[in-house]
Amino acid sequence: MRARSVLSALVSLFALTVAACGGSAGSSGGSQTGQDLVIGVPMSITGVQAKEGGLAKQGYDLWLDWINAQGGVNANGTKHKVVLKYEDDQSKPDISAQLTTKLITQDKAQLLLGPYGSATTASDAVVAEKNGIPMVEANGAAQAIFNNGYRYTFGVLSPANKYLQGVIDMAATLNPKPSTMAMLSADDSFSLEVAKAAQEYATAKGFNVVYTDRYPNGSTNLSGLVANAKAKNPEMLLNSGHLAEAVAINKAAKDLRLDAKLYAYSVGPSTPDFVNSLGTDSHYVYGGSQWTPQVKYKPSFYLSVPDYVAAYKKKYATSDDPDYHVAESTAACLALQKAIENAGSLKPDKVRDALASLDVITFFGRIKFDSRGINTYKPMVVEQIQTDGKHHTVFPPDVADAKPQYPTPTWSSR
Amino acid sequence: MTLLVQQLVLGLLIGGVYVAVGIGFSLVWGVLNIVNLAHGGLVIIGAYLTWLLFSAFKIDPFLSIPIVAAALFGIGYVLQRLLINRVIRAPIFFTLLLTFGVNLVIINVLLLLFKSDFRSVTPSYSGSGLSLGGVQLPYIRVAGLAVALLLAGAVALFLARSRVGGAIQAVGADRDAAQLVGVNLRHVYALTFGIGAACAGVAGGLISTAQAITPSAGEPYTLQAFVVVILGGLGRVSATVVGGLLFGVVETLAQTMVPGLGAGWANAIAFAILVVVLAVRPRGLMGRPV
Repeated sequence: MRARSVLSALVSLFALTVAACGGSAGSSGGSQTGQDLVIGVPMSITGVQAKEGGLAKQGYDLWLDWINAQGGVNANGTKHKVVLKYEDDQSKPDISAQLTTKLITQDKAQLLLGPYGSATTASDAVVAEKNGIPMVEANGAAQAIFNNGYRYTFGVLSPANKYLQGVIDMAATLNPKPSTMAMLSADDSFSLEVAKAAQEYATAKGFNVVYTDRYPNGSTNLSGLVANAKAKNPEMLLNSGHLAEAVAINKAAKDLRLDAKLYAYSVGPSTPDFVNSLGTDSHYVYGGSQWTPQVKYKPSFYLSVPDYVAAYKKKYATSDDPDYHVAESTAACLALQKAIENAGSLKPDKVRDALASLDVITFFGRIKFDSRGINTYKPMVVEQIQTDGKHHTVFPPDVADAKPQYPTPTWSSR
Repeated sequence: MTLLVQQLVLGLLIGGVYVAVGIGFSLVWGVLNIVNLAHGGLVIIGAYLTWLLFSAFKIDPFLSIPIVAAALFGIGYVLQRLLINRVIRAPIFFTLLLTFGVNLVIINVLLLLFKSDFRSVTPSYSGSGLSLGGVQLPYIRVAGLAVALLLAGAVALFLARSRVGGAIQAVGADRDAAQLVGVNLRHVYALTFGIGAACAGVAGGLISTAQAITPSAGEPYTLQAFVVVILGGLGRVSATVVGGLLFGVVETLAQTMVPGLGAGWANAIAFAILVVVLAVRPRGLMGRPV
């Protein structure tokens, strides 16, 4: 009898506590707090693209902290705290697609942020389309993703065919103007697309493409191809590939004394790893970049470019600038946020329509999607690692902070 | 013509790396009868140690070779004594499973310690070299080949002349008979695995100067070691040297000398040659008859 009354007292106390908590949560603040917004993110946490995947995750998390500090995403006066639900896709497209399905069906993700890489993005886009869940992606630039008539996949980055166009445009303005070009490309769809577009563009601009070859994705022994390129004596050496390959090519170019006037690699030079791996041998190298910390865009919301760089350094306790993988990933979050605000709803279809009609300026540049869903409205910039060991934006001139250091001296005179 | 010579030289130089990677793998396979899938992981530990010594203490990557080899010997000895010894007489599937698991552990520990940042050892003389009639001989790569050949010579001499080497060979030939004449099997197993790991460490040091490394960069080297050992033949150091150099030359020539095919075919051609060798000489080019 006694025990039962103690128990009932405890139960009622518990009930009161719950009621009190519920009441206080409901009545706080001016705007209402709604359910958490779950966004699914398949990501290369491990596997061959773990490095780049880590950078993309940094970009997403940077925005996550900021938006939750504001109380969450505002949909028609109700604020929703954001939860990013990550799954490690091991950099493999088939696993990424499986995990995307899991995120939607089991974890009830209402929206998706993209994985790292064109191959994984392409396979996840199929899942997003099938389930009618919008996916905003920042790290798959192959146009092949966007030529399938998908309605639910949006890419905030400039497509692959623009990656090296800026370098070629810049080369045309240099004095003395280089005339011959060699191109080495990895054999994945993104790299081949970059290479093909660059070769066509260069030919149209009057450059003479003297040597091209492709190699298996992830090769580290590229000396043979560089020796072949050297035999053609190119004034420009271009690579469309990945960080490890860019390092290997630059090392081989020095080993074999391939003295070009201009070295440009599609992926790699923008990362601190490139400079750390190569030391002073990284100097003079150009890279096409989605974004640099020096660009001068005037954003209509979120942070300005300098504030963004500062926020990055603070959160990750680093002296390195954020590279473009980080920035474009944050930009994908911003596109999603703005679309929800414009739609005034979390409903996938409404958010999709708002994404399709989005047109904003952010710290990353203009975000507007063409009818295929890719952002063709933002230019690529060209950056160069200069002799001070720092990255400088050198083209186009209106956003540049330095002039190109040109021509690159010969290896023996460095 | 200059280009052909240049490509041959490059093939031999990269072949030096394959020799270094193959020696330890061959030794462990031949004596312990273990196809060590963690070999690439051990190679990358060696590469990271070399990088660490270079970036933190400014120790030249070639001078640090003995330090790295000694450290890897210790790791290999302990690994075998504590873990791999448990499956030493188990069917090959278990040894594959265990070493595969060890490789995953190595990669993930390296990821925790060093993250997935790309690292490379770039000493001041990196990229300087000799030019002989238009053919470039990069010092660092030539030195790498020399180190690989010295390593091969040292291991061969050790196996042939020293008492412990004799014991190792005896165990490789017939472990039960070796035990009967008083060889301490557990110790010899662990020594052999340790020497294999030390060779992997030396290979890792060479690799850290040639390319950018990440924790998972070792995986292709396990496959290459496998191919090199099959190609040359199991059980002799000289066979690994021949296999490694040949594979380097074939790969480089296939990559560059077949116009229009592109480097994508290099692996296909290299493996086609492997299949031919296996069909014609099942024990490898220099394998001993049964």
